[in-house]
Amino acid sequence: MNYEQLVQFVIGDTGESLGKFVPELILCGSILLMLLLRLFDFTRRLLPSWFIALVGVTAAFVYSAPWVFLADGGQISRSEIFTGMLVYDTFTVYFRALLTFATALFIILTRLTGLANRENDSDFYTLVLGATVGMCLMASANHFLIVFLSIEMASIPSYALVGILKSNRKSSEASMKYAVYGAGAAGIMLYGISLLAGISGSAHLPTIAWRLSQGIGADYQLVLVLAALMLLVGMAFKLSAVPFHFWCPDAFEGASAEVNGFLSVVSKAAALALLVRLAVGFSLPPAAEPVMGANEVVMASGDQRANPAAAGLMIAKQQNAPIFATAWAEDSRQGHDPPSVAEVVPVADAPADAGATPTRTFLAYVIAIMAAVTCTFGNLAAYGQTNIKRLLAYSTIAHAGYMMMPIAAGLLMLENNPLGATEAFAALLLYAFLYVFMNLGAFAIVAFVRNAIGSEEIVDYAGLVRSSPGLVFCFAAILFSLIGLPPLAGFLAKLVIFSGLVNAGMFWLLFIAGANTVISLFYYLNVLRVMIFDPEPETREPIHFPMISLRGIYVAVLTAPMVLLIIQWNGLYEWAIAACKNLAGA
Amino acid sequence: MFLEAVDVFEKKDSKRKAMIDFLSQPVGLTHYLIVGAVMFVAGLVCMATKRNALGVLMGIELVLNGANLNFVAFGSGFLIRNPAYQLGLDGQIISLFVIVLAAAEAAIALAIVLNFYNNHSTVDVDRADELKG
Repeated sequence: MNYEQLVQFVIGDTGESLGKFVPELILCGSILLMLLLRLFDFTRRLLPSWFIALVGVTAAFVYSAPWVFLADGGQISRSEIFTGMLVYDTFTVYFRALLTFATALFIILTRLTGLANRENDSDFYTLVLGATVGMCLMASANHFLIVFLSIEMASIPSYALVGILKSNRKSSEASMKYAVYGAGAAGIMLYGISLLAGISGSAHLPTIAWRLSQGIGADYQLVLVLAALMLLVGMAFKLSAVPFHFWCPDAFEGASAEVNGFLSVVSKAAALALLVRLAVGFSLPPAAEPVMGANEVVMASGDQRANPAAAGLMIAKQQNAPIFATAWAEDSRQGHDPPSVAEVVPVADAPADAGATPTRTFLAYVIAIMAAVTCTFGNLAAYGQTNIKRLLAYSTIAHAGYMMMPIAAGLLMLENNPLGATEAFAALLLYAFLYVFMNLGAFAIVAFVRNAIGSEEIVDYAGLVRSSPGLVFCFAAILFSLIGLPPLAGFLAKLVIFSGLVNAGMFWLLFIAGANTVISLFYYLNVLRVMIFDPEPETREPIHFPMISLRGIYVAVLTAPMVLLIIQWNGLYEWAIAACKNLAGA
Repeated sequence: MFLEAVDVFEKKDSKRKAMIDFLSQPVGLTHYLIVGAVMFVAGLVCMATKRNALGVLMGIELVLNGANLNFVAFGSGFLIRNPAYQLGLDGQIISLFVIVLAAAEAAIALAIVLNFYNNHSTVDVDRADELKG
């Protein structure tokens, strides 16, 4: 491959990739437009930032077009774009749509509560859209550079968003804690990535998975485990999973309720998507050595138009077929021969009843145990809370635990029962979607009540039902849905997750999840008890929250799916299944 | 002349010879990784023990740069471990991106620390204890 061919390849690849990258490009364009228009006073008045942000996010949602790509069991197959940096498949489409949709709801919410005022609104929406771009990249990462880059792109604006209330003591403390913890976790994760990339000699996710499955890193098993744990630190931080959850209640208490909604819904969904990408990527190595950035189309064209290193590697492979035939490998093996997993249980000859390779079992159980601990801790710690935002923060931690459970189940079923694995991952996707309405709705109500009474203590919610019954009804529906009681959408979400656990045979995890649901009943209902049965405090003037107003309609719109989705949810579930069909290869 | 000196040491002390062997090796991948690891651990200790928020941020920079050094070393064409499984240019590119990201992160973190100072008149992380429970 000479220079001209290389340029031709890059031009062709980039052109093809840009077509599949339109939603992110629209978001970037909106950011630039916002920054340009704020320069002049009259343009700022003509096109306010919230409007550009909303239009940009909506356009990104329309261009991600889940109704086109996810219809009839998925219209597109997996392809790698930008020479293998990103992966574009139905999973990407689903999460892009989910993230932009939730961000659009969030922008409307900030507009209704007046969080961003005229002076700082372009800063605020620039940060929001920047974080959204990063989160979209998280859902489509296929290379460790993008994994790290996207996590940072999502995190750094989030630090600033938490501290957006500049003169607030609590807010500044929360953002400092979040930034310090976040940057530390990112640094540790980067070190883990460097070890992993160094051992396998690649940063391309499928290539690493393939090489590890061939026993490349078998001599450095301790280092590999260390690298995996360091990676997990970064992921656990983003997911606010125990033991890296410390930042979550503090950041949520200090930040404004709207930003909490954004962090708990959008950021968490993106982190879960990335966790699925990493876990499945490592558990299901490709059958043949993957060529970075080469899709079926490029391969089929016959000439070696893949990137030069990869093409060279392919030739080298053809010349000396077995990998361990290289002198280097022989040398390193003669001296000492530690028991390597890949040798003890080769992938191809794995006993049928074992079902999973060691990597997969290891990952599945680490995630399962983390999920169980996170879930239990979140629910138990939520008990003693008096601040509604802190309570919802612990509830968020608990729900992160619930949402990690199907990943573990899916990993266990990945090889023997691809259909079951697809359904388990689809359960996560469905839960993430319903969670948008539940948690954004809850935080929206908290924000509206804060604007009305200036307090976020649960005690001050006493007797709310007398002055604004509509609001309390909506809050009740959302809280019952968060618990997962039968007629509401939250029940649906829990049901699909639990059925995934049953399919995988993880009954101990099912038991923990069930017990947690019962535990969570009490603290959610405590909020309702205060709102409905306690007398109104004398000091607080009665608040009137008319349901026939923009705010009322917003809350009603977020609550409606809780009640209505139980009637007709097949279409949604089919989309979720379609989004996961490329993952497990079912 | 140097070799003669080594011979003398060999007779005297085999431990010392091993040390000389180690020190007179050409600089390889391991040396870089050791420096990277030392930087990483120093950064972690700095993050864990410093009470000044700026000190903590310096610790984070050390951690990032320790990882960066690993990437550069793994990617270098002069420190070849196994030609077929060389990180190559990817390593250098990643380290460039990390430098940019570290700058962005430092900018945001410094702004946040300044904001904290405006509200609390201190940059002591132990004084950030109003939120708990």
